[in-house]
Amino acid sequence: MKIIKYIFLILSVFLTFSACEEEYIPDINNEPSQVVVEGYIEAGDGAFPPYIIITKSLPFYSSFSQNLINSVFIHDAEVSVNDGTKDYLFTEICFNDLTPEQKKTFGELLNINLDSTGLNFCAYVDPSFQLKGEVGKTYKLSINTDGKNISATTSIPAPVGLDSIWFEQPPGDPSDTLRRMLCYVSDPLGAENFYRYFTSINDQAFYSGFNSVVDDKFFNGLRFKFPLPKGQSRGAEFDRKTYGLYRTGDTVRVKWTNIDKSHFDFWNTLEFNRANGGPFSTYTRIKTNINGGLGIWGGYYTNIYSIKVK
Amino acid sequence: MVIFKNMEMRLLSALILLFSLQFSAFSQSKFTVSGYIRDSLTGETLIGVNIYVKEKPSLGSVTNEYGFYSVTLADAPVTLIYSYIGYDKSYFTVSNPSNQRINVNLMEGIQINEVVISAKQEDRNVSSTEMSTISLPVEKIKKLPALFGEVDILKSLQLLPGVQFGGEGNSGFYVRGGGADQNLILLDEANVYNAGHMLGFFSVFNSDAIKNTTLYKGGLPSAYGGRLSSVVDIQMKEGNDKSFGVEGGIGLISSRFTMEGPIDKEKSSFLLSGRRTYLFDLIQPILNTTNFAGTNYYFYDLNAKVNHRFSDRDRLFISAYFGRDILKFKSNDRDFQFRIPYGNATATVRWNHLFSNKLFMNLSAIYNDYDFSFGGGQSEFQIDVASGVKDYNLKLDFDYFPDTRNKVEFGILTIHHQLTPNIARATNGEIEFESPLVPKYGLEYAGYIQDDIKWNSRLSANIGLRLTAFSHIGPYTSSIDSTIYKNFENVKTFSGIEPRISAKYSIDQSSSLKASITTTTQFLHLVSNSTSTLPTDVWVPSSELVDPQRGVQYAAGYFKNLLENIVEVSVEFYFKNMNNQIDFGENYVNSPAEEVEKSFVYGKGRSYGAEVFVHKTSGKLNGWIAYTYSKTRRKFDAINNGAWFPVSYDRTHDINIVANYKLSKKLELGGVFVYATGNTYTPLKSLFLIDQNLNIEYGARNSARIQAYHRMDISLNYDPKPESKKRFKSTWNFSVYNVYNRKNPAFIYNSINTHLDEGYADAKAVKVSLFPLIPSITWNFKWK
Repeated sequence: MKIIKYIFLILSVFLTFSACEEEYIPDINNEPSQVVVEGYIEAGDGAFPPYIIITKSLPFYSSFSQNLINSVFIHDAEVSVNDGTKDYLFTEICFNDLTPEQKKTFGELLNINLDSTGLNFCAYVDPSFQLKGEVGKTYKLSINTDGKNISATTSIPAPVGLDSIWFEQPPGDPSDTLRRMLCYVSDPLGAENFYRYFTSINDQAFYSGFNSVVDDKFFNGLRFKFPLPKGQSRGAEFDRKTYGLYRTGDTVRVKWTNIDKSHFDFWNTLEFNRANGGPFSTYTRIKTNINGGLGIWGGYYTNIYSIKVK
Repeated sequence: MVIFKNMEMRLLSALILLFSLQFSAFSQSKFTVSGYIRDSLTGETLIGVNIYVKEKPSLGSVTNEYGFYSVTLADAPVTLIYSYIGYDKSYFTVSNPSNQRINVNLMEGIQINEVVISAKQEDRNVSSTEMSTISLPVEKIKKLPALFGEVDILKSLQLLPGVQFGGEGNSGFYVRGGGADQNLILLDEANVYNAGHMLGFFSVFNSDAIKNTTLYKGGLPSAYGGRLSSVVDIQMKEGNDKSFGVEGGIGLISSRFTMEGPIDKEKSSFLLSGRRTYLFDLIQPILNTTNFAGTNYYFYDLNAKVNHRFSDRDRLFISAYFGRDILKFKSNDRDFQFRIPYGNATATVRWNHLFSNKLFMNLSAIYNDYDFSFGGGQSEFQIDVASGVKDYNLKLDFDYFPDTRNKVEFGILTIHHQLTPNIARATNGEIEFESPLVPKYGLEYAGYIQDDIKWNSRLSANIGLRLTAFSHIGPYTSSIDSTIYKNFENVKTFSGIEPRISAKYSIDQSSSLKASITTTTQFLHLVSNSTSTLPTDVWVPSSELVDPQRGVQYAAGYFKNLLENIVEVSVEFYFKNMNNQIDFGENYVNSPAEEVEKSFVYGKGRSYGAEVFVHKTSGKLNGWIAYTYSKTRRKFDAINNGAWFPVSYDRTHDINIVANYKLSKKLELGGVFVYATGNTYTPLKSLFLIDQNLNIEYGARNSARIQAYHRMDISLNYDPKPESKKRFKSTWNFSVYNVYNRKNPAFIYNSINTHLDEGYADAKAVKVSLFPLIPSITWNFKWK
């Protein structure tokens, strides 16, 4: 419920004739940069092998060129994951060091089309491919870089999939080509459940929705219907007319995941942080589960569904 | 906290001692002159009129908020002088030394800059025990320049020292470092929980229906309580009891219309006043051709009051206010719509009774209700949210005038509160589901006594004590241990002992020193996630989840009058400690399914400052200069790692210059200049990459400041026929807001565009300024 945003809407209607915006250059801050971790471990349908991206934060506003983006990756860190019985050592691979075939796989893993960007993305992976996410297990990540010890823990909850997915005419004016997607989930009674979803169109990358996470506070133990707006790349233009809708003829893959509480908190605060700020709400700090850094070490149980838009 | 309690106890015992000393020293009874003071033309009672003895100016009294006064004298003959700003002075010689009723009608002054006879009582700025208190007659407010021509009482208060504006063009305000929820705003004694229209850009008070506004920043009389920082006491006009009349105005965005008149001449009268905006109505024809047909926004206010004088001893008042903001939004192409109505309703029934010429009583029954609701959605997915506050309040107050040296006020009250959180009901077309939230209930009690004592011509004090209690009551189901409480069953009770003292020492006839200590307790809280308050913000009571806020303020000042009391000067210093302050935690995400109290974090606050006020009260050129230096800090274990941080409205320097110049009988020029240190904000600490997207890590709370705010407004009031004796009169007001078109920063937001798939991103801060130069014109009319 983001009433505030709706109110902001009227206000902007009212003020458009007078409000004025200009770039603001704040004082330089002397904050040191921090270590940022983005790592996932998956179980379930089409689960990807675990990987960890380690970058540093940038203590200033800027235009980000390729070079600047490439410079944020932290190299040569010691990275290991413990699954409760054994340590798995991770090694770094960078896009530019790979063969074209490997590049394609690497791009799929990181969910990005790296060929077109000219970026040299790097990530830490388990070279043995022995570490696989399993339901109910807890995974401890340890990173040592530049004298800093960073750690995090995540778990993979039991699967709760979707009962069904279908398409309907979008609300408002009927359309020949646009559809909205709805789904049913049967939420188990009792324990708290947390969900996150992504969509992919015609085998392209998976994108999460703007509000991609939900907990079951409102529908604990119920069979519940809700819409799943199409996810989109954050850089993509927001088009009010087509936002969240699917085109007939496309094939959609829905990645419906089950996550734990701290993983949910991270995305929930991150999405709130993105949507807010400015005069009508103070900031919200993104709640990380990384000790000694920023970011997320998240476990997913993934359920993948493929469906043609009709 | 222990120290705090000890101090309270010591003050308390000192007070009891003082009271007993004082009352044992009562001199034998003499004779008493009492009565009501009214405007000679309209019959409106006048508040705060000075009454003093010509032969001995240190003896005197002041009319209370119902226009009643009482003076006890020793000898006759004696001449009483009645003096009130803007009115001609009136003299009455009492020849008989017997108890008598003298009602006085004062004439509105033609010559404002008359030569004033020097008299000590003329100026309460210096002689009264009152400090940190300012009364603004509405006529004065009406002459100030106004944004969009909308005369705004709350915005005028922001021009006073120690009062800071909530944001560009916003009627929200902060007093001496207190939060926006720490101001008690009363309209005919009814609590107005949300005093803003349109996100606070306009206040809910229609100036045509208002008689008087008094702001207490400190040295709070014991009759008031329930908020930590300030009281704004607004009285509605009673209505002309002599002749029927209408007045109104047509402005850029709204129009006003008021009628008033006698029901039974000089016995009963009524007042009916309304205001409505029409900006969006005017653009409806254009909107209807777009996809947004059906979208509209307006607000309105209705004030009504009737009163009847049964006898010289009994008078009944009934007043009511009803105001609404209505926003309807429709986007037809995607079947998306919502409707947000919100507003206040208040009703007050008051009975004035005079037991004797020394004992005045007022009994009030007050109802007030603030409602916010949201209903909307897209096709079968619909959501309704409602929240609000509803109070029933019974209040008994006495004014007792035992002799010329004492004025005693005492009373009791009880309030039943119902506070409804944002309760959401939603449907997806199949299942209706509801957030598991329910209203909370509370019972508030207070009793108070205060004595305004004059020991001698130099030393006087207002000593008071207020005792308060608040019970969180059922129906309630504990979210801690699931205990179920029945209707009116006590869940948890809090109490407050609030000693208050304000003392004056006169240095000479035209200067004095004053000091005050005010302790306050606040049982209702409004915690906002925004930098100003929004209609969506929810009031919550003290409960088993939340403790009351407690505060103590120390103030001291030097008061001086110059030029035969025409210029009032004051310098005040204050220091304030606030305990159990409430805010949202740093990882706050609003969740409609959870009690908002679960997201609260607790800390403390501290503020101090100095205020300089130079006020020229009359003359061709009148106005004031107000300067405030202040520092306001908060400390929460859960915010900023427990370090002190400045609040967003922490303003080191705040300057307001207000001037009115009467160019001729037809023309009057008004000007306002405002300068304020920029607001603090929480800056970016760093950007970091997650999900192929740049995200913001924020730095320490409020650790950066935006540029200073300054602005000048001017107004011209034009009366084409000032000498006209016709019943119909009209005047024009031309205002220009922000004359030199300063782009004041209203807020800063982060603009982040990430296009990693194309290999670039950019991030910058954007400063938004809201109001450029805005001219406006208002036509006002009167038919009397």
